[in-house]
Amino acid sequence: MTALSVRDLKVHFPAGKGKVVHAVDGVSFDIPEGTAFGLVGESGSGKTTAALACARLVEATAGEVRLGETDITTLAGDAMRRARRDIQVVFQDPYASLNPRERVGAIVRRPLDLMKVGTPAEREARVDELFATVGLRPDQKALFPHQFSGGQRQRIGIARALATHPKLIVCDEPVSALDVAIQAQILNLLARLKAEMGLSYLFISHDLAVVQHLCDRIAVMYLGQIVETGSRREIFTSPMHPYTMALISAVPSPETGLAGVERIRLQGDPPSPIAPPPGCRFAGRCTFATDHCSKVAPVLTATGGNHAVACHRAQDAEVAAARNALVQGAPSG
Amino acid sequence: MSAPLLSVRDLEISFRLGTEETAVVRDLSFDLGEGETLGIVGESGCGKSITALSLLGLVPNPPGRVSAGQILFQGQDLVGASEEQLNRIRGNEISMVFQEPMTSLNPVYTVGEQIAETARVHFGSSRAEAWDRAIEMLKLVGIPSPEQRAHNFPHQLSGGMRQRVMIAIALVCEPKILIADEPTTALDVTVQAQIFDLFRELQDKIGAAIILITHDIGVVAQMTNRVMVMYAGRKIEEGPVAGFIRDPRHPYTRGLISCIPRLSMSPSDMPDPLFEIPGVVPAPRELGAPGCAFAPRCPHAMQRCRVQDPALSRIGEGRAVACWLEEEVAA
Repeated sequence: MTALSVRDLKVHFPAGKGKVVHAVDGVSFDIPEGTAFGLVGESGSGKTTAALACARLVEATAGEVRLGETDITTLAGDAMRRARRDIQVVFQDPYASLNPRERVGAIVRRPLDLMKVGTPAEREARVDELFATVGLRPDQKALFPHQFSGGQRQRIGIARALATHPKLIVCDEPVSALDVAIQAQILNLLARLKAEMGLSYLFISHDLAVVQHLCDRIAVMYLGQIVETGSRREIFTSPMHPYTMALISAVPSPETGLAGVERIRLQGDPPSPIAPPPGCRFAGRCTFATDHCSKVAPVLTATGGNHAVACHRAQDAEVAAARNALVQGAPSG
Repeated sequence: MSAPLLSVRDLEISFRLGTEETAVVRDLSFDLGEGETLGIVGESGCGKSITALSLLGLVPNPPGRVSAGQILFQGQDLVGASEEQLNRIRGNEISMVFQEPMTSLNPVYTVGEQIAETARVHFGSSRAEAWDRAIEMLKLVGIPSPEQRAHNFPHQLSGGMRQRVMIAIALVCEPKILIADEPTTALDVTVQAQIFDLFRELQDKIGAAIILITHDIGVVAQMTNRVMVMYAGRKIEEGPVAGFIRDPRHPYTRGLISCIPRLSMSPSDMPDPLFEIPGVVPAPRELGAPGCAFAPRCPHAMQRCRVQDPALSRIGEGRAVACWLEEEVAA
């Protein structure tokens, strides 16, 4: 079963004077039930906008977002509200996403109240259960958000997202605002919840190591489009797109850092999403780009398994050599 | 080695919380040699940033103050130095790149003016000279078409470019020491890599010493020569970077290194759960309690750890650790 199926999703924003920001420009992916799907990319790549559009927190300009059997992009009013039981969000900043004037028990109970789930007593019991699930004590319900640490606040955010028994949780950089030692606690919690409850995640992060740790499938976004997608193993044992290779290569790791492994360098900044260049959007920063790349846009093409890449040169010897150097130069383990 | 460029001796920084004064940094001593890169790691709330601020005489006073110790820069004690003396050193000899490129620049001045101002103040350059210098610096930090970019306001630049402008300001006067407080946490990995390339180039070019505050162990491995781990305001481990990564000795250091997910080029289908350091860093009010500050979170805590704070002891060439376990091993 597919928890979420996204087809040719586009999100365009008006930028004034008739200009349009192509934040998300034709993105398709499927999230099988019980799996975590990671969207990675630099800031401005459109990963967060794509995820918000999947939860309908941003309106899609075109395309389809199927949650189970229903296309939620066209739902309205009460039907949309009911659909939201199945899709919930954990936000990036646990300091900004909890109402500072509300007691945390009420914050976690709020989705149940709004959707009129069960009797008030049942809701209260469910809140106790949720607190225990995320590693908080039910007697902490009466406290306010400021009385908790960042990690505990993120646990409260997770409890709130779990309240309505959703099928899919959109996690938008859920650990990037947390301290290193606390990140591990939250990542382990998310992994445990997924295993125990069969949850599916749409997981947004710029941290490749975090995505690799938690996600079964990964899509790499660049300037509003998916340039490569595949299973965790496919993406990291055989990255096909030069951009994916550059991203992996840029991550400082303890081993490569000490060994002084040479990186693949990226020049310049990404082009503007207002007037994306014709041809491959990455061509301007790509060491392997040819004239053809800057004229004709490559399409996402399956290369076997779940792996697909949008690059004219992915199979060329020059790119393959760089790939081998990257995969073999880095330590295994 | 000749006398170190910077020598911090028994530094104590205290903050007034209500009616009581609490030491948030205690017994901190470290040296920084010319051209060296020292990493300071630890979770937030461990005293890393306030230590960095103290080197520039920027501890907010009140409520904070340097309550004991010395900060010797080329033999001159910066603790108790006059504002005038500090102004000669700040930005000129020791400069700082702050964590937030979004909020550390003045939004109502162009970036060129902000770089030129530093040159005018410290070199007494004319406006025209300072402007030329600003453009030269923008070029140095790798900003394309610097002549045009100098006229931009901060909001017109991307995060990576703003951070490069911050670095340009910090480097205008070719400082002997550059302090970078989490200079890349707000940036993408690809931009981070560019910034670190820049640091290395500048170090080769002007021989600056760098103090790099970070919680990213990968960054530490890539950038630093020596590492100092802080916990609850104290140095708990120090040593050359290779030993720190391959053979961390303090349970906190081991926890910090093993709790991060590591990028692997041959990932397994079912990653093991990450190592967790339970609990959180103690709040300032909880500092000064008897025993090792890490004991409540430590998997190896013994009776002794809860009553007596271990002192920093040498465990080999340039390495030191503050943990009772080391004594157990030695005994």
